Amino acid sequence: MKKKILAIVAVVVVFALLYAGYQAFLAPKGTEGSKEVTIKIIVEPEEINETFTYKTDHEFLTDLLKEKQDELGAMLESSEYGTMVAGMMNYKADQNKNEFFLFQVNGEDSMVGTDDTPIQDGDVYTFILTTW
Amino acid sequence: MKIHDIVLIGLLSALTTAGKLALSFIPNVEIVTLFFILFAVTLGLKRSLLISLVFSIVEILLYGFSTWVLGYFIIWPLLVIVASFLSKRIKTEYGYAVLGGLFGLFFGMVFALTESFFYGPAYGFAYWVNGLVFDLIHGVSNFILILLLFKPLKKILDSQLMRFNLI
Repeated sequence: MKKKILAIVAVVVVFALLYAGYQAFLAPKGTEGSKEVTIKIIVEPEEINETFTYKTDHEFLTDLLKEKQDELGAMLESSEYGTMVAGMMNYKADQNKNEFFLFQVNGEDSMVGTDDTPIQDGDVYTFILTTW
Repeated sequence: MKIHDIVLIGLLSALTTAGKLALSFIPNVEIVTLFFILFAVTLGLKRSLLISLVFSIVEILLYGFSTWVLGYFIIWPLLVIVASFLSKRIKTEYGYAVLGGLFGLFFGMVFALTESFFYGPAYGFAYWVNGLVFDLIHGVSNFILILLLFKPLKKILDSQLMRFNLI
């Protein structure tokens, strides 16, 4: 049993080292400092087409959305997969109509959610009401 | 295939699904790897392979059809085949713990490969890197679970199989 406990401790230590390595080299990182980004919101049925420009020091987009939540009319929901953008400009995507907010970074569909999107200077984030 | 084999495969598939559901509230800590290695070692390749296939089909019934289903039909039978092949060489539970640990570490990679088949390599890579921490947890928890539980569970399974003349 003693040998097993030693083996388990050794594996946990290796895990901790690998995790530290992951955090240091592979995890998404934001750059600190003053960054200027643009947020566009398009909700066609409501004829909403708004553009906001912000200067921010936040590292990830979710933090910026939370700070400007009132101005953007953002409805953010926490799910087991991370933060979900349920609504923008006080318009909530209607799931019964298969609506959702498509999230693009610099014109391309994002592979990750706003939690994992590091804010880079000059980025344009677009939220478009779309159906699936 | 005899009737008692069919019953055994059904029962152990149900046990695996129940074991998975019971631990599903802890991300990437699961007992399925332990069970499949155990089955491969004690029941032989054919019966274990069928259990892994029934388990994968039940997953579709529970969660619906999705792209990750393809990965399940590759990864679990593969684990059974590798464990069955290695069972002639591995003498202690440490070997199986290492096998389960490595399986956990590479779990995400197999799904990244099948996902990139559908959505392209860039998506596959992002999927893999995003899940690396979970792969680490998966590997470590597999190692610990197998190291602690493989031997006692094998003892129980062996004695029950002998009791019902199944080995």
